[in-house]
Amino acid sequence: MIKFEHVSKTYPNGVKGLQDINLEIQDGEFIGIIGMSGAGKSTFIRTINRLNNITEGSLMVDGVEISTLKGQALRQYRRKVGMIFQSYNLVPRISVIKNVMSSLVPDMPFWRVLLGLFSKEEKISALEALDRVSMLDKAFVRTDQLSGGQQQRVSLARTLTQNPSVLLADEPVAALDPVTAHEVMDDFKRINEELGQTVLINIHHVDLALEYSKRIIGIRAGKVVYDGPVSGMTQEILDVIYSKDEAE
Amino acid sequence: MGWYDKLFEAESYTLGNGKTVSQKFTRLPLILFLFIIGIAISVWVTGFSLVTLFTNFAGFWKIFGSMFPPKLSYFMQVWRPLLMTIQMSFLGSFFGAVVALPFAILAANNVTSNRVVNLVVRFILTVVRTIPTLVSALIATYIFGLGTFAGTVAIFLFSFSFVGKQLFEYIETVDMGAYEALIATGASPARSFITTILPQILPTYLSTSLFAFEGNVRYAAILGYVGAGGIGMILNEKIGWREFQSVGMILLSIFVAVVIIETTSQKLRKHLS
Amino acid sequence: MNKKLESVLSKEPRRGLQYAVTIIILLILLLSASPALGGAQMTTKGFDIGKNILTGIFTPDTSLLFGLGDSGVMYLILQTIAIAFLGTLVGAIIAVPLSFISATNIVPKPVVLVTRFIIMAIRTIPSLVYGLMFIRVTGPGPFAGVMTLAIVSIGMISKLFIETIEDLDSGILESLDAFGSTLFQKIRYGVLPQLGPDFISILVYRFDMNLREATILGLVGAGGIGAPMIFALSAYHWHQVGAILIGLFVLVFVVEILSDKLRHKILHG
Repeated sequence: MIKFEHVSKTYPNGVKGLQDINLEIQDGEFIGIIGMSGAGKSTFIRTINRLNNITEGSLMVDGVEISTLKGQALRQYRRKVGMIFQSYNLVPRISVIKNVMSSLVPDMPFWRVLLGLFSKEEKISALEALDRVSMLDKAFVRTDQLSGGQQQRVSLARTLTQNPSVLLADEPVAALDPVTAHEVMDDFKRINEELGQTVLINIHHVDLALEYSKRIIGIRAGKVVYDGPVSGMTQEILDVIYSKDEAE
Repeated sequence: MGWYDKLFEAESYTLGNGKTVSQKFTRLPLILFLFIIGIAISVWVTGFSLVTLFTNFAGFWKIFGSMFPPKLSYFMQVWRPLLMTIQMSFLGSFFGAVVALPFAILAANNVTSNRVVNLVVRFILTVVRTIPTLVSALIATYIFGLGTFAGTVAIFLFSFSFVGKQLFEYIETVDMGAYEALIATGASPARSFITTILPQILPTYLSTSLFAFEGNVRYAAILGYVGAGGIGMILNEKIGWREFQSVGMILLSIFVAVVIIETTSQKLRKHLS
Repeated sequence: MNKKLESVLSKEPRRGLQYAVTIIILLILLLSASPALGGAQMTTKGFDIGKNILTGIFTPDTSLLFGLGDSGVMYLILQTIAIAFLGTLVGAIIAVPLSFISATNIVPKPVVLVTRFIIMAIRTIPSLVYGLMFIRVTGPGPFAGVMTLAIVSIGMISKLFIETIEDLDSGILESLDAFGSTLFQKIRYGVLPQLGPDFISILVYRFDMNLREATILGLVGAGGIGAPMIFALSAYHWHQVGAILIGLFVLVFVVEILSDKLRHKILHG
């Protein structure tokens, strides 16, 4: 369970990323986060993985306060929280399987990291993850030879290999065409249903968010303006989330 | 250059439809003027004289001609110092490239976020790079004594600073996305660097190191001039004794060695990219 | 375990042997090159000299460093710059025609092979050897340095000029042909504007390199800041050595920054 209590985030330049966020996320939920670009969606997602630090409030995950974690404890926590990025963030010139196995690096002995040696078990677990996103036949292809949608699947496989209990995705389909976007969203949905992992996805396409999520969080200017089931979403609420009016 | 534009007014053209286009007065006369002044000062300071050049140029060809035909039998005395020169270049380039890697990492501001460390390491690289190799070889002979070790040190310093600078500039252009993704999986910065940045910079790193090695072989040939070992020692000696056919043989040997090494290294570099 | 995964895994490319061979070759090369490390006599005397040079850099001979006479560092710097400047210019004058007769889009292939071989040969002879040869022509002094730099510049300048010439956009020439231009007009309006900025940028770069070369020509008596440094070193005048090294450092550093800026301006406006 993830619990936000009065969480705020102010950037060093004074910009308010998040303001007084209060919400709870249960295990196994599929949540779409919507809002205009710059509203704070990315900041919200990234604070859960501590790629961004919060400046106020408390952020508890499974009963542990994570905003004060440091060093080894922080890295241990991050093992449980997988992160997917809009730009895939893969190493282009190495093989697909090496990219997938890179999420095992934190648990390997240092000398094997240095030499880039992986055991057979590690390779098999990476192949299993690739199979789950239908990319098994590309395992030994160089990553930069894949299309955008294929690369996003590889990055999904990388996160699955790390076997997280929470999956965070920051605009995973923003750079993809509509058909591929649906395919990748289907992967997320299947993983959520089959493996029971909590999924939080930032999407600026409202249609995709409404189609796949069970719960929607609408963010505007760093504040949560809607938090509830898809069925409760109305045009009026959407207008609030996406209104250009800066007055608050 | 504001004063120049004030001195020479911009020209403006009025088109048939009343629009005006203005064009700044050309800078060409100023540049040409400075250029000619530069030439005049340089000619005066260096004592350059075309007359001397044309009347005495025969002397150049005379020396050049006396190198032919190269004394082939002299090769028996050439190959050992030539090999020594290549050995110096290889060791110096190798260790220079190895030491350059950590320095480049510390100098790159996207990997090492400490600004002070960045600047200190860059300053070290710049100072070392600024000292000409022959000068550092000369100083090395004073510190380490005459011989190939001093030459190896000089080549080491050059390779270190050259590869270090090229590499840190390249590291700063590398995509940090995969690095961030690894940090997000809970990997330490060192592990993330090895897994995601290293594979991206490796081809450029090896290629730059090979490039430095190519140049070093050529350069190492003259280090002997200051007593830093290798083929330059006998080159200096034979020129002094005016045994120009032997000089010709030395130059021919260097030429062949350089061609072989450059061709091999260029093939390897092509393979890398 | 899953049969399908096993069969994919068996297709993994085997690189182990390739890596092992590379490492073994590298080790053999390193071992066979190790004699170059011999001959080090790092005595306490060497240590003292190293210390003295460092002390000299921090306590330079200021009258030498800031003196305006013929033997002052200022004058030596001016002379070094002059040698590099004229050397680059003379080198360029020789390199331009040589480059045109070495470009594959201008002359036939056999000619290119011959001229490129000549350029390569010119490039191989070390600068100090040229220096010694030119001293017979001009007598010792900066003039010999100018000619030496001119010759050693030819190799690199031609190599880069050739690349630029071979990248010429022939479409512009065709369009000028279509206007009915003469050969002279084609060169003036079609070729020069394309080559000009690149050529100048190459020359600025080579000037930067020549400056470094010019600092060592003093070793053979061809002028520049190198000769006084040798004298100071061999006479153990550490404060003078320090003054000259500081001058050298500032000179090379400033010129490098200026030439980078200038080239950026020429190429990118």
